[in-house]
Amino acid sequence: MGKYNPKLVCFSCKFSWGYLTDEGSLSHEIENWVPLICTGKIDATYIIEAFRAGADGVLILGCPEGNCHYQDGNYEAKKRVYLLHRLLESLGIEKERIRIVLSADPEGKRIRELVQDTKKKLAELGPLKRKIGRTVAAGGGI
Amino acid sequence: MDKPKVAICWLGACGGCDETVVDINEVLLRVAGVVDIVLWPVAMDFKYDRLKGMQNGEIALSVINGNVRNSEQEEIAKLLRDKSRLVVAFGACACFGGTPGLANLTTKSDIFNWVYRDAPTVVNPNGNYPQVSSRANGEELTLPEFYGRVYPLNAIIDVDYYLPGCPPPPYLVMYALSAVLENKLPAKGSVLAPRRALCDSCGRNKSKPDRISIKEVKRIHEVEADPNVCFLAQSIICLGPATRDGCGESCVRINLPCRGCFGPVEGVEDAGAKFVSAMAAILDAESDEEIIRVVSQIIDPVGYLYRFTLPASILQKSA
Amino acid sequence: MSDRITINPITRLEGHGKIEIFLDDKGEVRDVYWQVVELRGFERFCIGRPVEELPRIMPNICGVCPTPHNMAAVKALDDLYGVEPTPAAKLIRQLQYNAFMVEDHLLHFYILSSPDFVLGPTADPADRNVLGVVQKVGMDIGGRMIEVRKRCREIIKHIASKPAHPEGGLPGGVSIVITEEDRKWMKETANLCVAFCQFSLQLFRQVVLENKEYLSLVLSDAYKLNTYYLGQVDEDNRVNFYEGKLRIVDPKGNEYARFDCHEYVDYIGEWVEPWTYIRLTHLRKIGWKGLNEGETTALYRVGPLARLNVADGMLTPLAHKEFETMFGVLASKPAHHTLAYHWARLIEALQAAEHMQRIANDPLLTSRDIRNMDLNLGKVGVGCVEAARGTLIHHYEADVDGRATKVNLIVATQHNAAPICLSVKKAAMEFIKGSEVKEGFFNMVEMAFRAYDPCLGCATHALPGQMPLVVNIRNSEGSLLRAVRRP
Repeated sequence: MGKYNPKLVCFSCKFSWGYLTDEGSLSHEIENWVPLICTGKIDATYIIEAFRAGADGVLILGCPEGNCHYQDGNYEAKKRVYLLHRLLESLGIEKERIRIVLSADPEGKRIRELVQDTKKKLAELGPLKRKIGRTVAAGGGI
Repeated sequence: MDKPKVAICWLGACGGCDETVVDINEVLLRVAGVVDIVLWPVAMDFKYDRLKGMQNGEIALSVINGNVRNSEQEEIAKLLRDKSRLVVAFGACACFGGTPGLANLTTKSDIFNWVYRDAPTVVNPNGNYPQVSSRANGEELTLPEFYGRVYPLNAIIDVDYYLPGCPPPPYLVMYALSAVLENKLPAKGSVLAPRRALCDSCGRNKSKPDRISIKEVKRIHEVEADPNVCFLAQSIICLGPATRDGCGESCVRINLPCRGCFGPVEGVEDAGAKFVSAMAAILDAESDEEIIRVVSQIIDPVGYLYRFTLPASILQKSA
Repeated sequence: MSDRITINPITRLEGHGKIEIFLDDKGEVRDVYWQVVELRGFERFCIGRPVEELPRIMPNICGVCPTPHNMAAVKALDDLYGVEPTPAAKLIRQLQYNAFMVEDHLLHFYILSSPDFVLGPTADPADRNVLGVVQKVGMDIGGRMIEVRKRCREIIKHIASKPAHPEGGLPGGVSIVITEEDRKWMKETANLCVAFCQFSLQLFRQVVLENKEYLSLVLSDAYKLNTYYLGQVDEDNRVNFYEGKLRIVDPKGNEYARFDCHEYVDYIGEWVEPWTYIRLTHLRKIGWKGLNEGETTALYRVGPLARLNVADGMLTPLAHKEFETMFGVLASKPAHHTLAYHWARLIEALQAAEHMQRIANDPLLTSRDIRNMDLNLGKVGVGCVEAARGTLIHHYEADVDGRATKVNLIVATQHNAAPICLSVKKAAMEFIKGSEVKEGFFNMVEMAFRAYDPCLGCATHALPGQMPLVVNIRNSEGSLLRAVRRP
């Protein structure tokens, strides 16, 4: 059996992440990189769609708290992520599969590291496909 | 000219959708006068042979309610599809999987082990389990195969129209029937119900504050909900914003919050995921700890968000 | 060589079922298997759900009798939270419940079984439906039936949301008050129901009891089954659909047990066979003895006849008079005559209607005190009601957050599953000799199980007046000897 290479989709906000680097080279380096101009654009459905498209995890890079260019887009994104965590938990899917980091990294140097780190965690969790439709702990809901 | 043939059939169903057809009362008698109901197990019996013997497309309209979770249901669904020009998925189970779709959170063996072994009233010293094929007195007896999960109708056959609700209210049944009989149907794939969200027509709309702010989540039995004020404004989870309109607020009128039996609004595939975004917008908590604290008070996320639509959810479809 | 007869499809229990009949070498009926082919797993997927949502989910078990499931769930919640519903709430719930009993019982009688009675089992199949009844009796019975059903369902809708899927009810109460405006039309509906139930009993008397041929069918051995009986009664041993104690009498009428519904596990066992998805209930202390009746049986029946057998009387005066008349005619108590289920059903409908009248006139009905908020979450809740078809038990266990951790349901029709097999077997034995299948067999089989259960009755009664049946008679190698079809 080949080594499992988890698929990660990375949404990141251009206002805080990597805007000093060439976008072309970033997208070349980071697999499934989706640059946006606000993480507030990320509807909960997009994250679920990423899973449908084959992602085992989603990483969201947004602006630091209080620094959203559109005032509270990052805050909305954070709330959606936590709600999704709760929903996934009740579906028996690990919440570590959706990760949100609110910080600033204009040169984008930390992006690769965050992606690798998240993928490592996902590798431990295993492919998502196996989780969906599985038994929820029969001794009680979560 | 021959009367158009109509079939009304139940698959994995409870019978409520058939009852709702009977609830159109006198109108049913008029309808029965202009169509030839060739199949309706609740009121008339049928034989597979009779159905198999029909020409493909001989039936003008098949109204199918119930979900699919065993081999016999799949067989009937496909048979009806072959023989019918139009198929309507009738009711939440056919449209989205329905409440029994929650069984997709568990497995066939989990269900079988409880039902036939672990339930406190079970007496089963021989360890019998229902079998697709078994022998009794030297003869073979067969049962349909119980599938590992529940499917909405469109996962099994091509569906032309959808009529959601648990059950669809009689007035929508009548509109749908007229549309068919007068040949005034919308584009294929349409849902034969209003397009917008329940909130749009809800009588409690006027009571909504400028900004709904939920700082905690309350459960309906723990409070005496005000029957005139928006549930969400009272911190009670109500699926109204993410649920298609059309039920006439059957639950809200008796002071119970909406649980989403009409499925997603027009243009949305997954009502539960959409509700997450709606709920996030009204969640009033700043720090991570606060947000997590409020969110943990949602006692049963999948049960609230996907009560009727789990098998049709994006995650389930992609499994 | 042994032969086998397949009747497929006929019976339905929110789905489909079939009957297999096995003949021995002499061509006599050896065994009959009634197979239920569906299962959905409510007892498992309700785990993890907040318990207050269960009265909203459980009605999806059956859309024909959703009110009993809704009510059993609500009562289980009362029990789980150790809370007594307010007097007004109890009245409102019972109004909903009785309205359901009236419309469900009458629907079954008129649409599904009256053709047998009014027209007789040997009548032309084409006439054996409600239209034939209308023709013979000369009135728009169908129209009156639709009106009563509609008005009862208006009451259910008003109190509990949708009649085919009521969602109302909370632990300790109900969710909506009844106003004086409401009372007016509800009273009218109750009066209409009482009148129509009385008319129905009168009709039954005229066309059945005064018809010697039909009466003898009712009293015949082919339709007799000596079993135990289970039903809920109040402290005076009167029939009570909503609350009381469970009582079991033996085939001779002696009290076998009287217990609180919490102890149901001690009395009811569910036997499993590989050829059917339904579990076969029986008296646990006696132990499963197979499909037989009489002295050694472990089988019991539920439903209208069973309830009247178990009780000493009805809750309301007009119904009670009918109760006494019935046992006078049947000349035995308990009455084992399966076809008497239809009679008992009408008597129960009358009780439900009279009770509706009583409630509709009760000043407390419009009280605003509809919720008892003194909730104390425990670990276990058991709710028991008498559904139209028989005793229904919902048993929930919950964690400290009020989520269900365990769910056990004993659904009314299960109790009759084994007796149904037996009833069909008896009918089969009467009418199948050798490899000859008499025409009357089809009707008689249908009548044997239609008496028990509206769901089955729904399925077996065809609007064309008969149930299309195919009976294949094969030898032991599976070769077709004869096929008998109807139509």
